[in-house]
Amino acid sequence: MYLPEYCEFLSPVQIASGHHVLEKIPGFLKALNAKRPLILADKGVTAAGLIGIVEDAIKDNVQIGAIDDDVPPDSDLKVVSRLSDVYRKNNCDAIIAVGGGSVLDTAKGLNILVSEDADNLMEFAGANKLKRPLKPFIAIPTTAGTGSELTMAAVIADHDNFIKILFGSRFLLPDIAIIDSRMTLTLPAFFTAATAMDAMTHAVESYICLQKNPLSDAHALSAISLISKNLLNVIRKPDDQEGRLLLAKAATLAGMAFSNSTVGIVHTLGHSVGGVCGVPHGTCMSIFLPYGLEYNYHLVNPFIAELLFPLAGPEVYADTPENKRAEKTIEYIRQLNQDLHDATGGRHARFLSEILNRDGEQMVKKSHFDAIARISIGDGTKFYNPEEIDYDDSMLVLEASWDGRPLNRNLVKKNA
Amino acid sequence: MGEYKTYRPKRKILKWLYLYVFMWFTGRAIKIAAKVDDEVKKEFDSIPNNFNVALEVLPYGPALVVGKTEDGKVQYLGSSTKDKKIDLRMIVHNIENAMQLFTFQESTAISFMRNRLYLDGEIPYAAAFVRVFDAVEVYLLPKIIAKLAVKRYPAWSLIRKLSGRVKIYLRAGIGV
Repeated sequence: MYLPEYCEFLSPVQIASGHHVLEKIPGFLKALNAKRPLILADKGVTAAGLIGIVEDAIKDNVQIGAIDDDVPPDSDLKVVSRLSDVYRKNNCDAIIAVGGGSVLDTAKGLNILVSEDADNLMEFAGANKLKRPLKPFIAIPTTAGTGSELTMAAVIADHDNFIKILFGSRFLLPDIAIIDSRMTLTLPAFFTAATAMDAMTHAVESYICLQKNPLSDAHALSAISLISKNLLNVIRKPDDQEGRLLLAKAATLAGMAFSNSTVGIVHTLGHSVGGVCGVPHGTCMSIFLPYGLEYNYHLVNPFIAELLFPLAGPEVYADTPENKRAEKTIEYIRQLNQDLHDATGGRHARFLSEILNRDGEQMVKKSHFDAIARISIGDGTKFYNPEEIDYDDSMLVLEASWDGRPLNRNLVKKNA
Repeated sequence: MGEYKTYRPKRKILKWLYLYVFMWFTGRAIKIAAKVDDEVKKEFDSIPNNFNVALEVLPYGPALVVGKTEDGKVQYLGSSTKDKKIDLRMIVHNIENAMQLFTFQESTAISFMRNRLYLDGEIPYAAAFVRVFDAVEVYLLPKIIAKLAVKRYPAWSLIRKLSGRVKIYLRAGIGV
């Protein structure tokens, strides 16, 4: 076990997890002294019938202030500003966010504006700008991936400047996270794969990055094991409600881990590719994950080796010589991406050139690399990566992940 | 009613003096490095004009304040944040944490990880400033010490390192 000289762990969010948890929301709101929640969602959540399920579960006991399901997949500052008008006009006093990372992060941004009675979210950009608790906030994730319900960060796009802005504060944490198996039951296979690999990345990076500690490690290892055991089963049997709940729990565990030990180069590059090219976050994570391990291999290969146990199970771990375990871990994750690619009929992208938009056009072009690399060196996650990340380092990983070549580890710059 | 004594943190004069001198010289060195090193200059180009950055130690200082003027010149603005517009603060919790950082017992990255150093401001500018700070440490310190201070010691040519070091020491020393 790795025992750092110093560590911190904070996870004050009340987590309610199970098959029928939504019905407890009225009681939770009462405990938070809230009466008129604004329910936030996106069109996909409504179309999947999930808002209906939430509404049915609470409407007899709660006066809903408003329901707004116009949060786009890649929400931005303008959306947050519009929602603050909706909140104020309807005299709401709490927020219930039902959705994936974009909805949950939008809700965090909205909570800043309405609690601080502000109009310009940029005043609160960066770390530790908030100084007091915000309005009551309940998060109901509908993807088993982002872990946003457990993180003290929000990433919100500024589409005018093609960047993603990070907001970081303990006050962004929701009061309560509701993990209900009904919320992920209808998630299509392709989204299930991408979002679960997002959770996998949270857990893996939290285990190898600089702020790792025994508490975050425990959560990360449990999350990796749960995802590894259940992901392909759920893709093949989408109505496996128990498997869905376990994936959702894994995402929450991974969120708790990375919220405390943070993440590294996989997220550094993923945020930038998302900002520049609009690629969904989970897709970026699954592609960059093996590269992140290869990039940091020379510094943390013992930690990478330890991940083989929760990933592949005790037999594979025991059968693999100690000095081969780290490489086997990377190989296992590449194979998982390949299996997900096959199980989703090719929709789960394995490398950057394979990511297509709805019109079948390539989303990431080599001409984007310069902008991606430049933005990457200003991303906050780079601080936590074991190895330094500069412009050339980002380009090295982007070039390799373009066509799926393993990273040539000899080209990674090391301490001179 | 009981009487309550007010406790104030004691100043640790010798440690404070060490930090004052170190931060004073590093601040002047940053200003010179922005003139003599292309990479440092490029980092400052990414920071807006009329923007000030403070690296400060709580609760009594000292601080290192550098900034860019309206016309883009890099300036060292002294050892105190008082009455200055500060756009980005990098704050060390206390003087003991500052000693760990500035006697190179741990790197800037590890100080962040251990929450001895925290940010108040926009992260991309903080990342740029950390790169500037790292480059200046590489110039000022012998390799064996600088390796403890930065995450990855750069593979600079000997000419770059030595000529930059001489220029920075001379000009920061005499203040031009």
